[in-house]
Amino acid sequence: METRSLPILLLTLVALLIANLMFGAVSLPFKQVIEGFQVGNANYFTVHEYRFPRTILAMLVGAMMALAGALVQGVIRNPLASPDVLGVSHGAGLAAVFYMTFFPNADIDWLPTVALCGSLIAALMLWWLCGQHSSTIKLAITGVALAALYASCIDFLMLVKPLEINNALLWLTGSLWGRGWNQLAMLLPWLLLIPCALWLAKPLNLIHLGDDSAISLGVKASTLRLLSLAIAVGLTASCVAICGPIGFLGLVAPHLTRKLVGGRHQLLLPSTMLVGAILLLLADLVARTIDPPIELPAGIMTAIIGAPYFLWLLFRTK
Amino acid sequence: MKRVLSITLSVLVLCFSFSTTALAAAENAVNNSVEDSKGTFSLDYIPQRIVVLELSFVDALAAVGVSPVGIADDKDPDRILKEIRDEIGAWTSVGTRSQPSLETISALKPDLIIADISRHEGVYADLQKIAPTLILPSRRATYEENLQATAIIGKAIGKDQEMQARLKKHAQVMSDFAQQLPTGKEVQFGVARDDALFLHTADSYAGGVIRALGLKNANTGRSDDAYRQTSLEQFLAVNPDYFIVGNYVTPSIIDKWKKEPLWSVLKAAKNHHIYSVNPNTWSRCRGIISAETMGQDLIRVFSANQ
Amino acid sequence: MIFTRLPFIGQCVILLLFLLVCGWISLFSWSVITVTPLDALHALYNMNEDSIAQHIVHDLRFPRVLIGIMVGANLAAAGVIMQGLTQNPLASPSVLGINAGAALGMATVSSLAPWFGLLGTSVAAMIGGGVAWAFVMLLGSAWRSGNEHGRLVLAGVAISALCAALTKAVIIIAEDQAAGVLTWLAGSLTDARWQTFDALWPVCLIGLVGAMLISPTLNLLQLGDDNAKNLGVSLMWVKLGGSFLVLLLVGSAISSVGAIGFVGLLVPHMARMLTGQDHRKFLPIAMILGACLVVLSDTVSRAIIYPAETPAGAILALIGAPFFIYLVRKRTL
Repeated sequence: METRSLPILLLTLVALLIANLMFGAVSLPFKQVIEGFQVGNANYFTVHEYRFPRTILAMLVGAMMALAGALVQGVIRNPLASPDVLGVSHGAGLAAVFYMTFFPNADIDWLPTVALCGSLIAALMLWWLCGQHSSTIKLAITGVALAALYASCIDFLMLVKPLEINNALLWLTGSLWGRGWNQLAMLLPWLLLIPCALWLAKPLNLIHLGDDSAISLGVKASTLRLLSLAIAVGLTASCVAICGPIGFLGLVAPHLTRKLVGGRHQLLLPSTMLVGAILLLLADLVARTIDPPIELPAGIMTAIIGAPYFLWLLFRTK
Repeated sequence: MKRVLSITLSVLVLCFSFSTTALAAAENAVNNSVEDSKGTFSLDYIPQRIVVLELSFVDALAAVGVSPVGIADDKDPDRILKEIRDEIGAWTSVGTRSQPSLETISALKPDLIIADISRHEGVYADLQKIAPTLILPSRRATYEENLQATAIIGKAIGKDQEMQARLKKHAQVMSDFAQQLPTGKEVQFGVARDDALFLHTADSYAGGVIRALGLKNANTGRSDDAYRQTSLEQFLAVNPDYFIVGNYVTPSIIDKWKKEPLWSVLKAAKNHHIYSVNPNTWSRCRGIISAETMGQDLIRVFSANQ
Repeated sequence: MIFTRLPFIGQCVILLLFLLVCGWISLFSWSVITVTPLDALHALYNMNEDSIAQHIVHDLRFPRVLIGIMVGANLAAAGVIMQGLTQNPLASPSVLGINAGAALGMATVSSLAPWFGLLGTSVAAMIGGGVAWAFVMLLGSAWRSGNEHGRLVLAGVAISALCAALTKAVIIIAEDQAAGVLTWLAGSLTDARWQTFDALWPVCLIGLVGAMLISPTLNLLQLGDDNAKNLGVSLMWVKLGGSFLVLLLVGSAISSVGAIGFVGLLVPHMARMLTGQDHRKFLPIAMILGACLVVLSDTVSRAIIYPAETPAGAILALIGAPFFIYLVRKRTL
């Protein structure tokens, strides 16, 4: 009975995929969208080179971020946790801002790689500070403190070298603008993490019963925790490197999904990916169509859509 | 007799048509190869539908009477000077300068895109897929770099001679202005927002124009950036003879500062040498037409004084 | 350490002297126009109207130092009250979302409705901070006894992230304001003038006196909610009154200089190390320490990219964030 919402989610996803291809600054009827896939068509650039990769990217990034969120919440066992508490996205942000301020003339194509390194270093920092044996909540709070440190460094850099404020801010809000096939190709290897995460679903259920009972059931809690967090870091880092930190997706999507399908991870993890993809597609669609030709960053839209819902949800569940 | 006449006529017509096609071919074959920020750029045709992604490029096109079909004007046509608007007629907005809408650009079917290296390097590859893209410095460019970029645009759109003539005229106009202006007076330009004053230093576009007009930049201390956020205390140290301010909002921070006792210590305030100008002309547009408008502004400023 | 063995009054006097020296240094240091240490004194007692240096000291530097002192004291007192109320060592305006909420309120009003002016932005900052804090307290279930420390902090982080995302949205939509708002978000004393001082001191005084009055009750709360109740403390009234004080202290500080962070987190712990757990003693010490910290970082903020200025809040955050990490590592949560 919990699976009842899955077909609806799938249908919504497909509808949004099509809508994302059809609407934008210029609306195209469905027929022209199909024709746009042929080389040489008048809409070839808009459809095949621009909207299509962007849509696919939005879908994948949404799914991956939501999955990371579900993993983190599953491990930390706190509904307020999100990949943000690992400090990974702030680490990426710091690396990116550092790169933009100190090498203003360097090649911008390196930015994702730099951000990726930043987020992985941030994850290592967290690991080094916490070690293997600290409690999950301590891990989360340390992550928060690290994130605060990175955030203050970001502010400092932006204020000392104010020239790049707008570029940096745009990146820091998270946006799908100008992302295309190249970025999609960079994301592809990281998709391998998705099956790994899904494979963890069953042990994650056990850990939900409490560390002690999980151990007695044959799941080594600390290993599982480490593995899940590592996968969450990988997922978040790859997404943030390409699109910038798209806020709230990792926090809201798992919540919404839990409401729809319940807390069993076998079902929760795949459905949360659907929900995440739907949310980001919707956010990007709104961001592109709300005031064309002006494009708002999708990160803003996820915050505006996600935040009120999140608050409402938290009050409802209390 | 009739036959002779008709033959001569047809020969004439033929000759004429040949010469025109030959001319057209010659014009088409013009190799507009230029060096832009990414290397060599060349077109083998005269672009008709140009999309520009920074305001300074609009100025350059308008200087030789070319109208772009699309401009990244932040959806606010007033950001473009009225003189230029009258010159180029209607256009389509393609969104913000920082994140122009690629779909809209593509829908305009341009045959040339002019982009800014500082803002649009990240989407250069995508822009190339839409149309040949000329990428040049605009934001953070100095007056001299801007003149170079203008000359390059002139060559790339096949109006090299017109542009060179226009640039020569511009140099003439500027030196005429310089003669009408007193030499060596210290002039500082700044833009004022609600809570901050940004001085445009000697490295900025406005700073370059001020120098080109035979005036002097005020000493703003460190000179590693073009725009410097400045507190009242630091502004007292800069203490320019003449202060030109562009208010993005009114009342701006300058209006607040004017009420403070320290403001009257400033040389410019003491001698009533504070003038407000259109911040779009002085800060955003950055081109030869706006430089000339800036010159006129300064002449007004100095003649009001005498 | 000798200092911790001094009597309370002695500690206060030494710290006050230190504050005086900091303030004096701040009056003349790192000025683009040469200001001598003597000018700084003359400007206060016997001002020469013709000297630009003395004008600068009197009209810019002096109110700046005074406001720095008040803001530091306010934020430190707010931090002490928050940690006392929630019995959570990590509670402070920046961690629990008040700063972020105030920033959102301020950014919204100044970008979308600038005609409200200064009054509008400070009221917006207070309302924003208050709403954010209310959310955090409700979500973190801070009112229940025996709550876990982590939950409150996570709630604060979630709300902060929400406010920060919305603030960024507002800034990007109103592109023109970006640099100014960013400076304000970090917190800067650059625009602190006598008008600001006139608006700030009455609120500051009420808040600080209120904090002193509530400090004995905070001592009782340390014994645990049940014991406090048995000793005749009305928990609801203390918590409501304390929250109101916090809002007053933080709101007035933020609306006059921007969202300066980490003072409220850092200083109570420093004060506790010096004087022990008695709120009646460590609250005044914390106020003086907070004042010193803000005045010092304001001085440093002028030195870092001299002659330009960095917002003092950015410096404080750079000092405060590592300390936050240290606290998390040291405390058992």
